[in-house]
Amino acid sequence: MRSAAEPATTELAARTRRKPQEPFRAPPAARRVLPRIVRPAALAVVGAGLWLLGRRLGYGAPEYLQLLVDGTVTGSVYGLVAVGFVVVYRVTGVINFAQGAFVMLGPMLTITFLGGIGVTGGVPLAAAAATAVVVTAGIAMAVHRFTLHPARQASALTRIIITVGVYISLQGLALRAWGPRPYVMPAFSTLQMEDRLLQVGGVVVQAQSLWVWAVGVVTVLGLILFFERTVAGKAMRACAVNRTAARLMGIRVDRMATLAFGLAGILGAVAGIVLAPSTRPTYDMGLELGLKGFVAAIAGGLTNLPGAVGGGLVLGILESLWAGVTVAGFKDLFAFVMLILLLLARPQGWLEAGHQ
Amino acid sequence: MRRSFHAGRGLTVLCLGLAAFLAGALVYPVLAAPAARVGIPYRIGFIASVTGPGASLGTPERDVARLLQDRLNREGGIAGPDGVRHEVQILINDDQSRADVAASLARRLIEQDQVHVLVGTTLSGPSLAIVPIATELRTPNISMASARAIIEDPNTQRMRPWIFKPVPENLHSASKQAEYLKAVGINRVCHLYENTAYGQDTFASAKHEFPKAGIRILYGDSFDRFATEFPQVTRVRASGCQAVVIGSIPPAAAVINVAVAGRVGPRKIVHGHGACSPDLIRTAGAAAEGTVMPCGKILVADQLPANDPVRGVNLELISEYARLTGGQPISTFAGHAYDALQWALLGLRTVPDGQPLGRIREMVRDGIERIRNYVGTHGVMNLGPDDHLGFNPKDFVIVTVQGGRFVLLPPERWK
Amino acid sequence: MTQPRWGPPWLAMAAVVAAVGVWELAQPGGLARLSRGLISTDLLIRTGLFTIVLVGLNLLMGYAGQASLGQAAFYGMGAFASAILTVRGRVLGIPQDLLAAWWWPWLVMGLAALAVGGFALVVGLAILRLRGHYLAMATLGLGIIVYIVLRENLGMPHLNLTGGFDGIVGVPRLRVGGAELWPVQVYYFVVWAVALTVVALGLGVVHSPVGRALRALHGSELATESVGVDVGRLKAKIFALSAALASVAGSLYAHFQAAVVPDTFGFVPSLELVVMSAVGGMSSIWGAPFGALTVLLLEQLLRTHVLGLLPAVSGELEPVVFGALLVVIMMFWPAGLVSSRKVQASPGSS
Repeated sequence: MRSAAEPATTELAARTRRKPQEPFRAPPAARRVLPRIVRPAALAVVGAGLWLLGRRLGYGAPEYLQLLVDGTVTGSVYGLVAVGFVVVYRVTGVINFAQGAFVMLGPMLTITFLGGIGVTGGVPLAAAAATAVVVTAGIAMAVHRFTLHPARQASALTRIIITVGVYISLQGLALRAWGPRPYVMPAFSTLQMEDRLLQVGGVVVQAQSLWVWAVGVVTVLGLILFFERTVAGKAMRACAVNRTAARLMGIRVDRMATLAFGLAGILGAVAGIVLAPSTRPTYDMGLELGLKGFVAAIAGGLTNLPGAVGGGLVLGILESLWAGVTVAGFKDLFAFVMLILLLLARPQGWLEAGHQ
Repeated sequence: MRRSFHAGRGLTVLCLGLAAFLAGALVYPVLAAPAARVGIPYRIGFIASVTGPGASLGTPERDVARLLQDRLNREGGIAGPDGVRHEVQILINDDQSRADVAASLARRLIEQDQVHVLVGTTLSGPSLAIVPIATELRTPNISMASARAIIEDPNTQRMRPWIFKPVPENLHSASKQAEYLKAVGINRVCHLYENTAYGQDTFASAKHEFPKAGIRILYGDSFDRFATEFPQVTRVRASGCQAVVIGSIPPAAAVINVAVAGRVGPRKIVHGHGACSPDLIRTAGAAAEGTVMPCGKILVADQLPANDPVRGVNLELISEYARLTGGQPISTFAGHAYDALQWALLGLRTVPDGQPLGRIREMVRDGIERIRNYVGTHGVMNLGPDDHLGFNPKDFVIVTVQGGRFVLLPPERWK
Repeated sequence: MTQPRWGPPWLAMAAVVAAVGVWELAQPGGLARLSRGLISTDLLIRTGLFTIVLVGLNLLMGYAGQASLGQAAFYGMGAFASAILTVRGRVLGIPQDLLAAWWWPWLVMGLAALAVGGFALVVGLAILRLRGHYLAMATLGLGIIVYIVLRENLGMPHLNLTGGFDGIVGVPRLRVGGAELWPVQVYYFVVWAVALTVVALGLGVVHSPVGRALRALHGSELATESVGVDVGRLKAKIFALSAALASVAGSLYAHFQAAVVPDTFGFVPSLELVVMSAVGGMSSIWGAPFGALTVLLLEQLLRTHVLGLLPAVSGELEPVVFGALLVVIMMFWPAGLVSSRKVQASPGSS
C-alpha cells in the first residue's frame, strides 16, 4: 500500500497513526546516537562556559536572574505558538506553517477593532481582543475546510506545502490591508503605549510579562482541561491516537481536524496578542515567531503539550543567556546548535518522558 | 448720429481686432506647444522593495514614483536641450527585498523594456546585485540604498562609472553623531544595532568615526528585529557608558528605545538617520522624547530658516505626498526616491532628440555626473566623476523629539 | 517493476535546450519578444541552476525519503566559496597569478563541491539517524546556522571575507583559456550543460542498484538493512551528493550573478526549494526541471503580466496570488506535476 510515490512522507503519514511515537526506529545497536554520559556532560560544559563568560563581565546573581526572566517571557510566547503546532499535528499529521499568520492576525485585528471602537479602556480592549481571537479562529477553520480538507487524501508533505501557500497568501493580504507600517498595541496594565516597570530585587520586569505568563498558564491549563474533560477534546485525542479506530467509533475525524485548526487559530492569536504590547506588530511578524514556535514544538516531541511549552521556554532561555553573555548576532546559531545536539542525544524530544 | 454710429462701429471693430491680435499673440505659444516636435518617450525603470523586510522603506518610495509620474503627465513630460518634448514613463517594479529578484528585474528592464535609466533599489544587498548588471549593460543606475560599496568599488576605491546614489551614508551619520556627543561632553558610549545590513553598517561606521572624536565604545552588540526582551540592556547597565547609540529603523528602533529608556535610567539616547521617520514617534511614544538623531532636512522642512534653499522643494513634496497617500507624513526614504528620480530626469534633459538607445544611456550618465547645485530633499548636491553621491555632510541636521514631533536642534542649542 | 529507458526523453530534452540556446544566441532577446517578456535567457539560466539543486533534493527527499529544510545552505556555501576565493583571495594570501588563471574558478568550484559534500557526509552520518520531523528540524537548524555564519562574516569581522549582510560584489565571469563564457546567451550553455549532466546522473542513480536500494529504504528501513545494505551510510552518501550538487549550482550562480548576499540562502529560500520540488514532483528526476520552470514562470507571469495590468496594486497582491496558486496546484496535483508512479492515497488520513 505504501508506495514510494509518497516521498518522505509515508513516514509522516504512518506516524500519525501510531502511538506512542517512535521517532527512532533503527535497530537497538544504533538506538543511542550519543552515549548516556554526553548529555549531562555537555550541559555542564555549556553551563560552565556561560558562567565564565558572565563572570568576565562582572555578572552576579541579579544579572543572571534578569537574563533568565527575560528568557522565560520570550520562551512563553514561543511555547504558546508551539502548542498551536502540536494541536494541529496531533489530529491531522500536518505541520501547519500557517500558524505564524494566526500569530500575526491576532494583534493586527485587535488593533483594527480597537480603532473601530475608538474608545480606550479595559473593556473595549478585551472586547476587541476577544473578537480578534474569534475571527482568527474562524479564518483558521476556513483554511482547513477549503484547502486542507479537500486535499485530505494527499500526502502529509503535500498538505504541509499547502499550508506554506496559505501562509504566503495570508501575509500578502495583511500587507494589502495594513501596509508595511508598525502598529501599537496598548499594554494591558496601563492601557497605554507605555508599560509599567516592576522592580523586584535587581530584576526589572515589564507588567506585560506578568500577563504573558498568566495568559500562558491559563491557556495551557484550559487546553489540557479541554482534552481531558470535554467530549470534543476526548474525541480529538482519539483521532490523534488512532484515526481509523476513531472513525469506527463514530467520530467525525474531518470535523475534529477543522476544530483543531480553530484551536490553533485561538492559540496563535492569543500568543500574538499578549506579545504585541512589548513589540510593534507588523504584517510580517509571523514568520520569525512561527519558525521559533515550530522549533520549540519539535524539540518538545511535536505531540506533547507540556513538551511544546517546555521547548519554548528552553529555547527562549538559551537565546537570552547567550545574548546576555556573548555576542547577540550568534544567538540563533547557539540555540540551534544546542537543539541539534539535544535532539541527537535524545531523538524523541528531550522533554518527553522516555519511551525507550 | 448714424455717422457716429458708424464711427463707433469702426472703433469697436478696431478694438476687437486689436484684442484678437493681442490674445492671439498671448495664446499662440500655448497653442503652438503641442505642435512642437515630440520625441520618443523616455522610460525610467524603477525598482523598490514593496514587499518583504524592506517594505516600510520601499512603499513610500513607490508612492513617490507614482507622484512624480502624475506630475510628469500633467506637465506633458520633459523637454530636451533642443526643446523637443518627451513623454516619460516610470515602470514600477517590486523586488520583494530580494537580491536575485532585483537582478532579474534589472536585466529585464534594461534588455527587454529598454529603459534609458534605472532607479533602484531600496536595500543595499539587492542594490549591490544590480551593480554588475547595470555596469555590464552600460545603463545608468541610481540606487536608493545607503551602502558605500554601491557607488565605490571597495577594492580599488574608485567610483563605479554607471552607479549613483543620493543617499547619505552611515559614515556621515556617525561623524555627525560624534560631533554632537563631543559637544555635549560625552566620551563613553554603548552601541546597540539591529541585526540587519543597515544596523551592521552603523556599528562599523561608529567604530570608524567615534575614536577620531575621542569617544570610546564600551560595549556594542546587535539585537533582532522581532526581539521583545533585551539581554543586551543588562550589559549596557553593567558597562558604565554615558549614552546609548542605537543603529536601527522603526519598529525595532522604537522597541529598543523603549527598553533602554525604561531600564537604563537617565542616559542620552542617540539614533542613527534610519530612525528619522514619523514611525519612530508613533511607535515609541514618550520614550522617544529627548532622543536625538542626525537627519536629512526633509524631516524638519517647516522649521528651516526661510532662506534655506531646500525648504521650498520639501514643503511642496510633503503636501503633494500627503494628498496622494491620504495624509501620510513623509519619511526620509520618500525623499531619497524623489532625489533619485529627479537625477534621472536631469540626466534625460541633457539628451538631444534622435539618439540611439546606447548613446542616450551614455549621455544620461554623463548628464547625471555633471549635476551641480541640485536642490534636493536632503540638501544641495554636487556630483562629479569622483563623487557619485554628491551629499554634503554639513546638510545633516541634528533633530530631537519634543512634544511628539521632530524639532530641529541647531548647534547652539545642543548643550 | 520494469524500468522505462530514460535515454530518449533525456535526448529530447537536451535537443530542446540546445535549440533554444542556439536561437537565443543567433537572435538575442528573440525568446522574450516572442513570449511577450515572459521567458528570457535570465529565467532559463535560473531554471537550470535550480534544476541542479532540485535533482539532488529529489534524490534525497523523493527517493531516500529524508526531508531537508536547509538545502539552500549548501547552495550558499558553494556560492560564497567561489566568491570568496576569487574576489577576496588576496586577503587569504593566495598568489596573484593563481587568482588570475582562467582555471582557478573552475578548480574552486570543484574543490568547493568536494568540501561541501564532505561536510554533508560528516554531518549526515550524525543527523540522518534522526527520523521524520526531527530530521527536518535538524536540517532546518543546519541551514540557519550556515546562514548566520555567512551573515556574521564567519565570526571574523576583521577579515571581512563574506562581506556580512552586503555580501560580495564583483565575482568574475568564468573563462576557458582566454575566452570569457559570457554574455548570458553563452553562459546559458554552461549552466545547462551542467544541468543536463546532473539530470543524467540523477537518472543513472535512480536506475542503478543504488536506486533500487533507495526505493527499498523508502519502503522499509529495517527490511533494507536486513538484506545487507548499510542504511546510515547510504543515506549520508545521498545527502552528500545532494549537497555537492547544490554547491556546484551555487558556484555557477555566483559567477552568473557576480554578486552574492547571504539573504539568498536563508530559511525562506530553503523552503522555496522544497516548494519547487513538490510542485515538480519529487518522486521523479524529471520533476526537478519542471518544478523549477513552473515556479519561476508563475512568479514572472504575476510580476510582468497579470499585475502589470492593474497599476494601482503593483507589488502587494503578487504574494497573495502566488500563495493561492501554490495551494491550488498542490490540491489538484498532490504528487507534483511530473509523477513517475501512480499516487495512492494513504487510507487513514483525514
